[in-house]
Amino acid sequence: MPHADSPPVLHAEGLTKKYGRRGKLALSDVHLSVPAGRVIGLVGPNGAGKSTLLHLACGLTEPTSGSLTVLGSRPAANASHLARVGFVAQNTPVYGAFTVAEHLRFGAKMNPGWDPVLAERRISQVGLSAGQKAGQLSGGQRAQLALTIAAAKRPELLIFDEPAAALDPLARRGFLQNLMEFVLELGASAVLSSHLLGDVEQVCDYLIVLCDARVQVAGDTRELLAGHARLVAARGEFDQPRAGIEVISVEHSGKHSSAVVRTGAATEALPYRSEPVTLEELVLAYMTRAAAVPAARTEAAAWGATR
Amino acid sequence: MMWLSWRQFRVQALFGAGALAVIAVYLLYLGGDIRDAHDVYQANCDNSANCAQARSQFRSTFQNTLLFLATGLALIPALIGTFWGAPLIARELENGTHRLVWNQSVTRPRWLLSKILLIGAASVIVTGAAAALLTWAARPFDDVVKEQFDTFVFGARNIAPIGYAALAFTFGTVVGLLLRRTLPAMAVTLVVFIAFQFFFPNVVRPSLMPPDRTTLPMTAEAINSAQNLGSIGGGSVIGGVRIPDAPDAWIAETSPLRTADGRTLASSEFNGCLDDPPKTGAGGTFGDTAVCLAEHDLHVDVLYHPSSRYWAFQWLETAIYVALSGILTAFGVWRIRRRVS
Repeated sequence: MPHADSPPVLHAEGLTKKYGRRGKLALSDVHLSVPAGRVIGLVGPNGAGKSTLLHLACGLTEPTSGSLTVLGSRPAANASHLARVGFVAQNTPVYGAFTVAEHLRFGAKMNPGWDPVLAERRISQVGLSAGQKAGQLSGGQRAQLALTIAAAKRPELLIFDEPAAALDPLARRGFLQNLMEFVLELGASAVLSSHLLGDVEQVCDYLIVLCDARVQVAGDTRELLAGHARLVAARGEFDQPRAGIEVISVEHSGKHSSAVVRTGAATEALPYRSEPVTLEELVLAYMTRAAAVPAARTEAAAWGATR
Repeated sequence: MMWLSWRQFRVQALFGAGALAVIAVYLLYLGGDIRDAHDVYQANCDNSANCAQARSQFRSTFQNTLLFLATGLALIPALIGTFWGAPLIARELENGTHRLVWNQSVTRPRWLLSKILLIGAASVIVTGAAAALLTWAARPFDDVVKEQFDTFVFGARNIAPIGYAALAFTFGTVVGLLLRRTLPAMAVTLVVFIAFQFFFPNVVRPSLMPPDRTTLPMTAEAINSAQNLGSIGGGSVIGGVRIPDAPDAWIAETSPLRTADGRTLASSEFNGCLDDPPKTGAGGTFGDTAVCLAEHDLHVDVLYHPSSRYWAFQWLETAIYVALSGILTAFGVWRIRRRVS
């Protein structure tokens, strides 16, 4: 359960990851601090660096520069820290030659904090039979198995890398439901990444938008919604910067321009028609801005510098 | 952790145990056969003329079989490196299951060490058992033929194969870790390890200890007891000489035929004796040629290791292989802790 004094689940400072000596930057100067006890959605297009960030968080890779702490210490620092973080990788890998029961045995042998009752209850709830070979499970069943293994070690933080990407809508709903039940039962924090907002929107109370190797925006979803608005004004009105608002993206239609803006103060003071934004509009606005390279990148950098 | 290592290894272990059982049955049978033939040889060995003939018959009966078996035994470590070592980590990386197993409450170095210990021990046991059986089976033959320093024979007896198995397995494991793909790792392991097994006995082994040197006068008798004269490249050389005082010694290097003043015998004179020696009616392997060469008052300088060093060589070679295996293991642990995924 969240405590005011518990260390942030993720804390990154200047986190940078480059693959190969001349490879592209997968993460560039990321600063983040995510409080404990949240369900965090990590959203961004494919190739934005989501997997890299999550692999760094569970110690599968090391940063090129900068630092990242998870639950207050270096990722995968030792066996007891490994026990505090559960990770379900993309495509939910399991051992194809092992049966479901052998996977539970594997979990029990590899984790001192293993909860066999929880594991077996969940396995039977999702309808997996113990004797089945994992290689013959459907994508949805495999994901449920991987989720059970990660959760039954009773971690404080569960990390999911695109858990629902390969699942059909029905399996996806069942998986996310099961995932949330686990998070509640364990009292754990959770991070889910997805390239689709829809996957994480229903379950997350904290959002990180990652595009183009950078964090575009991060925060509590309610605060994000309160701090952004859609403004409608005469065409061209948003071309000039204006005090008190930061324009994230603008759409033009006929004589009007419609902008998603980040507002410091109340929007009633502004001479525009103001509407609340949905989470999807907000994320899309940031993604659109990040995608409009190179102009937007320099703008974003300039904004970051003046902040 | 041992449960997981064993669960993932058990099919391969079963295969290894089956192969070892087949090898054991055959070698037990062969050992009996060689002992029977050895009894016949000793029974026929009542005088020295018969003895030489009986000896060469005994030798030729088993020489090819034992050479074939020595080659087979040399392949066991290479196959272990290829089929047990190379896929060990590469297959996990290829299937993505490393992301599952490395996120349990066991650190990667411990995971790796547990696997290396279990499967490394199995590699050493299988190879060591096969080598012990072959050593036992061939003992009467080896006692008679005394070629324990032969390149193939040395590596297929006693404890040296244990070192080969340890190195081959850890080498395969590390190659798999670096290449991250199973098939290329298997291919590289097989080729590089076999190449190393040619390199080491021919280049490193002779200089593991400083050799003794001696000068052998090339009398007609000495020339006749050698194995070959001349070479494809020409030159006044003699091969397969033996030291009369130490017939079991390992001749590491033999100089060309030298005259009394220390110069190499001119090839015109050497070829003269080889092609057209004066007829004397002498017998022996090289007949008139041996007599002709002996008249030049020749000698060779040889570098050799007396047979008393055999066990020192076995231990030294085994220790070097085991140490290399340990270095590779340490590198693997360092690498898996730092850079992966």
